[in-house]
Amino acid sequence: MQKLLFTFLFVLIAGLFSGGAFAASVKKTPAKLQTDSSAIVVKSFSADSINTYKKAKEFNYNGTVIEAPSAWDRFWAYFWNKLFGKLSNSPLAGAFIKYTLLALAVALLVYVSFKLVGMDAVKLWMGQANKTLHYTESLENIHEINFDAEIEKAIALHNYRLAVRLLYLKCLKQLSDNELIRWQTDKTNSAYIYELNDPSLRQAFTLLTRQFEYVWYGGFSIDSNAFKNINQLFQNFKKQLA
Amino acid sequence: MENEFFEQRTDLSKLGTAVEQIKATLAKIIVGQQESIDLLIAGILADGHILIEGVPGVAKTLTAKLISKAIDARYSRIQFTPDLMPSDILGTSVFNPKSTEFEFKRGPIFGNIILIDEINRAPAKTQSALFEAMEEKQVTVDGHTYKMEEPFTVLATQNPVEQEGTYRLPEAQLDRFLFKIEIKYPSLADEIAIITQQHQQKTTDQLNHIEPVLSAAEIIALRQQVKALHVEHKLLEFTAKIVFESRNHKALYLGGSPRASLAIINGAKALAAIRGRDFVTPEDIIYVAAPVLRHRIMLTPDKEMEGVTPDEVIAQIIQKIEIPR
Repeated sequence: MQKLLFTFLFVLIAGLFSGGAFAASVKKTPAKLQTDSSAIVVKSFSADSINTYKKAKEFNYNGTVIEAPSAWDRFWAYFWNKLFGKLSNSPLAGAFIKYTLLALAVALLVYVSFKLVGMDAVKLWMGQANKTLHYTESLENIHEINFDAEIEKAIALHNYRLAVRLLYLKCLKQLSDNELIRWQTDKTNSAYIYELNDPSLRQAFTLLTRQFEYVWYGGFSIDSNAFKNINQLFQNFKKQLA
Repeated sequence: MENEFFEQRTDLSKLGTAVEQIKATLAKIIVGQQESIDLLIAGILADGHILIEGVPGVAKTLTAKLISKAIDARYSRIQFTPDLMPSDILGTSVFNPKSTEFEFKRGPIFGNIILIDEINRAPAKTQSALFEAMEEKQVTVDGHTYKMEEPFTVLATQNPVEQEGTYRLPEAQLDRFLFKIEIKYPSLADEIAIITQQHQQKTTDQLNHIEPVLSAAEIIALRQQVKALHVEHKLLEFTAKIVFESRNHKALYLGGSPRASLAIINGAKALAAIRGRDFVTPEDIIYVAAPVLRHRIMLTPDKEMEGVTPDEVIAQIIQKIEIPR
């Protein structure tokens, strides 16, 4: 292996030396300067062409002739002058007013276009973050329900379950009217119980809450007799409140 | 909770007695933590796995151990370490020279109550071994599927992720836990009681004399009872709205999954049963919403930097939704 490597290196070094010797043996000859001896032809331009160019509008640098403003231009000048006074005559302020009005016009156009298409521009810019629930029910405002009429209707239809619910909501309204609780749709029944400071009132309301929960959340069936008893509890509570 | 106008549809007396017994057993050793204990019992009744998180020294492991001791079922404990392998949990096939065949040697996951201590000290590779067992209650090794024995409940403890040597659990695994219970530091009065109890050497004695109060078969029967509780359709909608809203909240990068909706309902049913009702109220749903969602949702990085907590976001979400009434 060493022998092979030695042979390879010997051949390589010998090759390099022999190449250098060959390069040294080549004789350099002086470079010869090439001169351009071709005839020079002078080109001349046609007078007609120069005249044509001279007459062309593009080469007229004398400036445009200022024509007298038309009636339409005078109207707008008068309008801007009335609206912004001397400001409109200043080139900088004039440009600012012009572009502001243009931007407003574009914004108005975009707004009208969105309205016509029926898209909500605010939602479009705010993206997904402010997406509201699709199925949000209309919040039931206990202050807008005619409870007596609705309870009568439910009893007439033997829908005692609904009647108990309406009785409970009416009870919450009464407590809210008397400023004993603060009505809020996200508050639980227990939250209202804790809001009552009077122990007897709290105890009575806890009992009513329990009836409501059994009927409304518990799905317990209720007949006219049971309803009569529950209704009595609500009437007693009303008297207690008064 | 009895009501004189309505007859009870479900006899929850046995369940109530069992819950009281478990609470009494735990109260012998654990001071305070009533809410955590309620949620632990609710989680077991709802057939769910529970993740207990707290800083070192707040009795996470002790609580889980006591719950396991209160139930007469096959209990096994796995201490998660960084070098733990999936086969250390699931089991492995071993060559039997006598029969000249490979035999599957079951790992510690094959039990009824599995206590995984310091679960977030093992990397994701090891965690993934639990996925099938926790969700499908089975383990597949070498093409064979081994069913877990009922009841099968994983109680796992972990330190907060900011602690040294911990890994964040994969989202898929976190979603498999019904509740994440956060154990806080005790109040001053509770801490004095803990020291007094230890000083009088009550704790060690009590721990050795814990008697099981429920059998595995009883747990299965109670779970069936809880599953059959009544939930109004409006409350199912209420639950879905909470979870749906978590997916669109601007402070959240990841919201709750449909599994979270199911977990809220199951947890609320168990809680209603503990409270003596055979139906769910909005309050049950609100009560379990935070333990169900807090480990499933992910805050956006900016909110995390601001120090906003998942519980605060969940409270905001619930506030936005009208209580069905």
